[in-house]
Amino acid sequence: MDESAQQILENLTEVEVAAEDILADKQQIVDLDLRRNRNREAFNALRNHSSNDNVKVCFGNMFITFPQESARSMILKDQENLDKEITDLRKQLKTKVNRLNELQGKPALTGYNLAPLSSAEMKAINSLIKK
Amino acid sequence: MAAQVATTKVPEVRDITRIERIGAHSHIRGLGLDDALEARQVSQGMVGQLASRRAAGLILEMIKDGQIAGRAVLIAGQPGTGKTAIAMGIAQSLGPDTPFTAMAGSEIFSLEMSKTEALSQAFRKAIGVRIKEETEIIEGEVVEIQIDRPATGTGAKVGKLTLKTTEMETIYDLGTKMIESLSKERVQAGDVITIDKATGKISKLGRSFTRARDYDAMGSQTQFVQCPEGELQKRKEVVHTVSLHEIDVINSRTQGFLALFSGDTGEIKSEVREQINAKVSEWREEGKAEIIPGVLFIDEVHMLDIECFSFLNRALESDLSPVLVMATNRGITRIRGTNYQSPHGIPIDMLDRLLIIATTPYTEKETRQILKIRCEEEDVELSEEAHTVLTRIGLETSLRYAIQLISTAGLVCRKRRGTEVQVEDIKRVYSLFLDESRSSQYMKEYQDSFLFNETQSPQMDIS
Repeated sequence: MDESAQQILENLTEVEVAAEDILADKQQIVDLDLRRNRNREAFNALRNHSSNDNVKVCFGNMFITFPQESARSMILKDQENLDKEITDLRKQLKTKVNRLNELQGKPALTGYNLAPLSSAEMKAINSLIKK
Repeated sequence: MAAQVATTKVPEVRDITRIERIGAHSHIRGLGLDDALEARQVSQGMVGQLASRRAAGLILEMIKDGQIAGRAVLIAGQPGTGKTAIAMGIAQSLGPDTPFTAMAGSEIFSLEMSKTEALSQAFRKAIGVRIKEETEIIEGEVVEIQIDRPATGTGAKVGKLTLKTTEMETIYDLGTKMIESLSKERVQAGDVITIDKATGKISKLGRSFTRARDYDAMGSQTQFVQCPEGELQKRKEVVHTVSLHEIDVINSRTQGFLALFSGDTGEIKSEVREQINAKVSEWREEGKAEIIPGVLFIDEVHMLDIECFSFLNRALESDLSPVLVMATNRGITRIRGTNYQSPHGIPIDMLDRLLIIATTPYTEKETRQILKIRCEEEDVELSEEAHTVLTRIGLETSLRYAIQLISTAGLVCRKRRGTEVQVEDIKRVYSLFLDESRSSQYMKEYQDSFLFNETQSPQMDIS
């Protein structure tokens, strides 16, 4: 293989790796969101649980009996972690997508790095946009 | 943008659905420059004027880079040498994201608004602010809605909503408020909906394809969409561009619905503008907004008077200032509002700030090209001889007159059921409609028989 072909192959590999990385992150977000929703369902189920008995919580493939209070706090803590992880992943995803665009020679997305307006500010602007 | 078109050699695709009236410059789609900013002889509807187009291209690049806010450009040249065409070319090449405001110099004279107010509004219309909206939404296909009404008939309703995407499915517990808005939107199983997490607003995107066969009798307005992919709880980011003037307007409106109906807003208080400026620069510091200096194009700029020029002088120095492009066809003439003469009717101190692009009269070959392009634009077929005749007319009278003859000759041709405009058609319209010099000739010969001919004032000086 001559040099230019080698170069092209290298470039393509780089693009593929970057793209693969993005896809993996996306899947990771989906998986985390799935867990987040399961946790939410569990939390709702606990809230509707009338008696004050201990509850059975499923860990992997094992059921463990827990006092309600600690089960609840456990879920809440897990939710917090999940939220944080998803936000982090999304942040990373942005730089990764930018890099992929750069590798493919596409222009960077406009306004990509802007911080969002707060909801109050958005409310004021909304009448302009939704004409 | 122009450069990209050049490299890929993609035939210029034109939107067929957009039907517009054919304007004088509707054939212009850019400046017609290649990658190296060299003007091509005929491209994107532009013909000739190579030097001026190259100059405009340089300015365009600087505008795109956001480098030259608060600069001004003057396009000067005789009538019918493509000044407005170049400005349109700049506007087209800028793309939809950069604000471009076009106005005529005489537009600022209004009874309802002071001249400077009209100019300030035009300035602020030409400055864009890019902002981002971020919302957390839940997006999914409704699998099932279950609402339990209390047996007594009164009291809080409770319910469950099952949503799914291609990857997951989950159950939400519903409160009274949610149930209300769901029934208000008439959400049923099989609908694809989004729920705004912050406001709880529900919007229906359509029905899922998988449920398409559920009903045979279906309104034509029912829209089918794919079941959403990925996670249920998504983050949506939308980037908007609004102009400073638009922000001014919403903030200067008093409550009351009358303001909604009147399109124009009258004068905007300077305090409002100052507040907006402060807010926008605060946003910029927080990374919440980007300022896009756009382009304000003032055609027939010699119509502005000395006060306007002094206002422009000052306004260009503000840090929120667009690129000002002006066009004029006047030579050394009186500055409006004074008795002083100045080149282009523009005060010397203003001229000093300008980058001046000159346009020169078209050559025979270029006139021929332009007429050809206009014929295509106006859907008129021209025979070879007719084209030559028309080119001569264009050279001897004016390009505008020749262009006027295209559509009229086209009509004459259609009247006699011809497919191609012949020399006879051109002759006919040439005898029907006078050009400027023949009309003046006629006036000179017969002015004794017209009314009020005793005024012997000199002819308008446009040189």
